[in-house]
Amino acid sequence: MSERSNAVLQARGLSKSYASGDRRLAVLRGVDLLLHAGESVSIRGESGAGKSTLLHLLAGLDSPDEGELFWNGARIDARRCTAVRNRFLGLIFQSFHLVPELTAEDNVLLPRRIGGRVDAAARRRAVGLLARVGLDERAAHLPSQLSGGERQRVAVARALMNQPSLLLADEPTGNLDERTGESVITLLLELVAETQTALILVTHNPAHAARTSRQMTLSEGILHHG
Amino acid sequence: MPWYVHLALKQLFPAGRRFPFFTAISVLGVALGVALLIVVTSVMGGFGYEIRRMIVETEGEVQIKARGLIGDSASLLREVARVPGVQAATPYASGVVMVMANGRPAYPAMRGLDLATVAGVVELSTYIRLGTLDDLDDDSVLVSSELARSLGVTIGDTLEVYSPLIIERLRSDEVFLPREVRVVGLVEIGHQQLDSSMVYGTLRLVQDLYGLGSAVHGINVRARPGVGEDQLARRLNASGLPVGMQAFSWMDSFEEFLWVLNLEKGMIFFLLLFIVIVAAFSVMSSLLISVVRKTREIGLLGALGASPRGVAACYCAQGLLIGVFGTGVGLALGFAALAVRNDAVMLIARLTQREDELRRFYQFSNLPAHTVPGDVLTVVILTLVISFLAGLVPAWRAARLRPVEAFRSE
Repeated sequence: MSERSNAVLQARGLSKSYASGDRRLAVLRGVDLLLHAGESVSIRGESGAGKSTLLHLLAGLDSPDEGELFWNGARIDARRCTAVRNRFLGLIFQSFHLVPELTAEDNVLLPRRIGGRVDAAARRRAVGLLARVGLDERAAHLPSQLSGGERQRVAVARALMNQPSLLLADEPTGNLDERTGESVITLLLELVAETQTALILVTHNPAHAARTSRQMTLSEGILHHG
Repeated sequence: MPWYVHLALKQLFPAGRRFPFFTAISVLGVALGVALLIVVTSVMGGFGYEIRRMIVETEGEVQIKARGLIGDSASLLREVARVPGVQAATPYASGVVMVMANGRPAYPAMRGLDLATVAGVVELSTYIRLGTLDDLDDDSVLVSSELARSLGVTIGDTLEVYSPLIIERLRSDEVFLPREVRVVGLVEIGHQQLDSSMVYGTLRLVQDLYGLGSAVHGINVRARPGVGEDQLARRLNASGLPVGMQAFSWMDSFEEFLWVLNLEKGMIFFLLLFIVIVAAFSVMSSLLISVVRKTREIGLLGALGASPRGVAACYCAQGLLIGVFGTGVGLALGFAALAVRNDAVMLIARLTQREDELRRFYQFSNLPAHTVPGDVLTVVILTLVISFLAGLVPAWRAARLRPVEAFRSE
């Protein structure tokens, strides 16, 4: 009980299957995961192993067939966690998912806007985060005016805007060249260490995975620790 | 500003150098519908307004009529003057006559004016283009401009006036000669029908021509400023007019005509509203395409904590904003078109060499326009409601999209 209450995230026995013709295809089979503040975990696995499905369940974007999910000790129902997710979770995607009509600064501010009012303090934080990811000169630029690496750094800043307890990064270097990907991972790990934010990093890259405090592998729907 | 309004504005008018083509087309569609509605309702309103102006300025707001003739008009005028809201009153006699000049006949209506009281009720002097009301006496007339042109007469020329009394007298073997009168003025009201068929004389002249003695056909009443014509007519009727007499506002007198005019206006408004509805379908279609194109962004919004209601509000706001901007541009276009309407119509008439036909068929020398604030408000509200509704279907589609499905579509 005390372990769960100290945990940023706890998943217990998460299972998920999808209909495939007449059969049901089990993607996740009883996944357990416990994560504390400042801890970083990498999850590797082959394509189709269920990494994205697991991330969607952990992010409360989808409901498991079985199992329970807790954020900061509170049980989460995927159908009713939208507002909580805004404050608890930061998401980083392989394809950046920046809103093309918004400037870098407005993209960073978007989670705060959705969560409530944008005040001067929020603007200062957004500018500060952009400076921290090395893009203070590019705050007024649109995503189309930024390189892939710069876009992902904007996405990292956006994920941290609401000071979340947990960051979920789904193959954040998948669309970047090796050098840029390396710099993004370095930045991401530095930031989560600075802010004591928990991180789940889904990656194919063993070198990137090795830089997290715990490494896990997802295979045939089962999460293997260590 | 709520995030969904902020994002809606940014999606409609993105920063940077990109021309918001979708927004421009959508706004233009709504704007054209609004502009057309403003122009048509103003022009239709203008016809009614001009007719009212002409009636009121040439006959006063209220007429008192009897079943037959009004014998003692002087005492009736005194009674009428005591009714609150009456500014002035004047007796009149009128009827159709035949006039001849230069061997050409015409059959205008002739109106007899009481020179002592007419100026307080009828603003005829403002319509006299040539000559003056002061020259009018029992042996002279004012002739409407088009009628003078068709008869080939001008100031100083003589007209022969034949009244129906001539035929009546012939039955009793009396010879009643036509009355010779001088033309002392030309009147131009601006309405083709009135300008081609009116002769104004003194009350005494018309009474003589019709054998009325001292009787008159009715009393024209001018209301004080701020007193409505219906209100004044009700007061006059309540004041105890002699038996057989009744006061009618100009709207009572032209009730059927005004009803037809309003029906026409309403029907045209209804039909033209479909332009806005068609524009709204185009907005809906564009927004639906936007929902499909921005599937991942919509998914992202949900993942960042936006509620389905917020996502829906973003698309409703886009529909509404297109409506707001379209209405603004449409109002500007509509009023600009109204400002140049006469130049445009005359240019078309000149190019097609149809200036005379235009004047003959449309009655007025200028294309009238009168914009009623209530009509503008109706156009604005209906356009905004329709535009908002246009955003509902895309909003519903966007709100139903679950983030996890949106990301799977990658």
